Amino acid sequence: MLSTKERLNAEVTVRTKALVSAKPILSKRRVDSLLTVAVTAIIAVTALFLLFPVVVTVLMAFDARDYIGPFPPTELSTRWFGKLLEDTYIWAGFKTSLLLAAATTAAAAAIGALAALAISWMSPRWRDFVTTMFLSPLVLPGVIIGFGLLMFFAAFNQVPVFLKLFAGHLIITLPFTIRMTLVGLAGISQTLREAALSLGANERQVFFTITLPLAKNGIAAGAIFAFATSMDDVAVSLFMSDFQTYTLPLALTTLIKSSFDLTIAAAAVALMGLTIVLLIVLDRVLGLERAMGHGTNRIR
Amino acid sequence: MNVLELKDVTKKYGSFTAVENVSLELEPGKVLSLLGPSGCGKTTTLRIIAGFAVPDGGTVQIAGEDVGQLKPYERNVGLLFQDYALFPHMTVAQNVAYGMRYRGAPAAAIPSRIKQMLSLVQLGGMEARYPNQLSGGQQQRVALARALATDPKVVLLDEPLSALDAKLRLELRIELKEILRSVGATTIVVTHDQEEALSLGDEVVIMHAGGIVQRGAPTQIYQSPANKFVAEFVGRSNWFQVIRSGQSVAGFTSYITSDGVEIRAKSPPSGYNGGSDLCVRPEHIELIDSAAPEALRGAEHNSMTGVVLDVASLGPDVHVVVELPGKARVLAIRKNAGRIQGLAPGQCVRAVFSAADVLVF
Repeated sequence: MLSTKERLNAEVTVRTKALVSAKPILSKRRVDSLLTVAVTAIIAVTALFLLFPVVVTVLMAFDARDYIGPFPPTELSTRWFGKLLEDTYIWAGFKTSLLLAAATTAAAAAIGALAALAISWMSPRWRDFVTTMFLSPLVLPGVIIGFGLLMFFAAFNQVPVFLKLFAGHLIITLPFTIRMTLVGLAGISQTLREAALSLGANERQVFFTITLPLAKNGIAAGAIFAFATSMDDVAVSLFMSDFQTYTLPLALTTLIKSSFDLTIAAAAVALMGLTIVLLIVLDRVLGLERAMGHGTNRIR
Repeated sequence: MNVLELKDVTKKYGSFTAVENVSLELEPGKVLSLLGPSGCGKTTTLRIIAGFAVPDGGTVQIAGEDVGQLKPYERNVGLLFQDYALFPHMTVAQNVAYGMRYRGAPAAAIPSRIKQMLSLVQLGGMEARYPNQLSGGQQQRVALARALATDPKVVLLDEPLSALDAKLRLELRIELKEILRSVGATTIVVTHDQEEALSLGDEVVIMHAGGIVQRGAPTQIYQSPANKFVAEFVGRSNWFQVIRSGQSVAGFTSYITSDGVEIRAKSPPSGYNGGSDLCVRPEHIELIDSAAPEALRGAEHNSMTGVVLDVASLGPDVHVVVELPGKARVLAIRKNAGRIQGLAPGQCVRAVFSAADVLVF
């Protein structure tokens, strides 16, 4: 019965196709290849556009001229790196930034992971609401967060600057750790939890042996984003810092306004180098894990 | 004594009753299949036995102990998940050992038990592999070894073969049966796949709309279905709607169907009220040359001419669709033997089936 119907359908399809192809459109193929060329060109231009500032900064950092001259440099030297090493102002900012980013990352990763876990246990309606609340700093301008925090801390006297910076950075980095942990948790199949429960592990044991190890990559990815965001932030830090305690990006912006030399380019290159090393190390650690568990979250 | 006993178990989700007054008992070492369409309550039943759902009413006993309110980890039930649910960050050996660790097996006994379980499922030497390095069939065997390693009182298999391709399914079905028998596991197979249910189960329970419709041996379910639902759900069937019944001769009655065809079948059950359905299994319909003398005429036989609409040769079986007078279409399944090969669409044939093979509902 069915097969007759299917056969009829197949015949109709063949006839319809014959009708369509009876009127060939010559330019179809050409349009396709033109589109391919256009898309390739767009990708190339975008890549160039993205890389241009990096290339300029790297080249300018090796400029031998003692003023900010037009690009490209006429002569190369490492003098700005030497100056960078001696610049106590930048070094103080770097130290604060590094300490602040490390503390923020640790706290944001821990709090974000726990918050994400709690969110994943909520009923769908609450889940969406709470997630939106936690992720709202992403869409709020840093200036507003900074100003709000400034007003808030004004209510107390003598709050240490580092603590203020830490609070501000925590607010802007939490969305990343929560988001990435949620993504990691979403990849863990519910049956894995149930399998572990049926095998005799209680909820706490399931969390430590199944959920946490499998969400690890998500948490780590969130931590990387948090670290990068903290190292990069200007807007919030601007409101929280004072002349004694300031971050590296603040030091650099101050420098570019006050002095016209290329120490700032050298600092940027050094920061880039540090980031690359950091990423390689993290990829080694996480990459090894991936090779072992292959995506770790799902079997296939 | 029964290993598993469900008594009047009911589970509601809001206004939806997933399971209503389900009672089941299972003797040690037996395999019971729970078969039904999706939403029939079979999965809820499984989750209640496993402890993932708490029944709203009734009792669940495992080995004489009331476990209805116990957590999954407080009862010893082995579970084989449809997607196997192997822990991807653990090796095969760690997966198998997981249950033993939390069921309090002595640490010294674990390595030898892992070895024993893996040789049982023929995966010796695979201890250090990760799940993603195994084929689907191997993953399933690891999951089975993991479920059986804690020596569970009851083993629950959730659609155990559905994720495998057809060829592997047959192989693993036989193997699965052997393994379950060799360890004497008391097992419940939950599935919507009748082949899986009928082949694995010593007994089959058909569920529909939250309740049990029929329980019996696989052949019994197929040959004498309790009602129209079971007949329709298990196996293929041709249906005729009766508009009135004619005379009865020697325990057989003539029925006039809505297509205007006269079909002889067993006399209607008591309390018959005029309308009913007739069901003929496709393999009971014999197709013979329409010119052949009507040798099979009689009160206990049906014989009618028709035109072949379609012939589909599916390996060992040939599915033939025949249009009977009154536009009624029937499917006849014949073995792919020599004499059927002449059949082609448009040909006139005589469809013959015994009145005793017609099921009346």
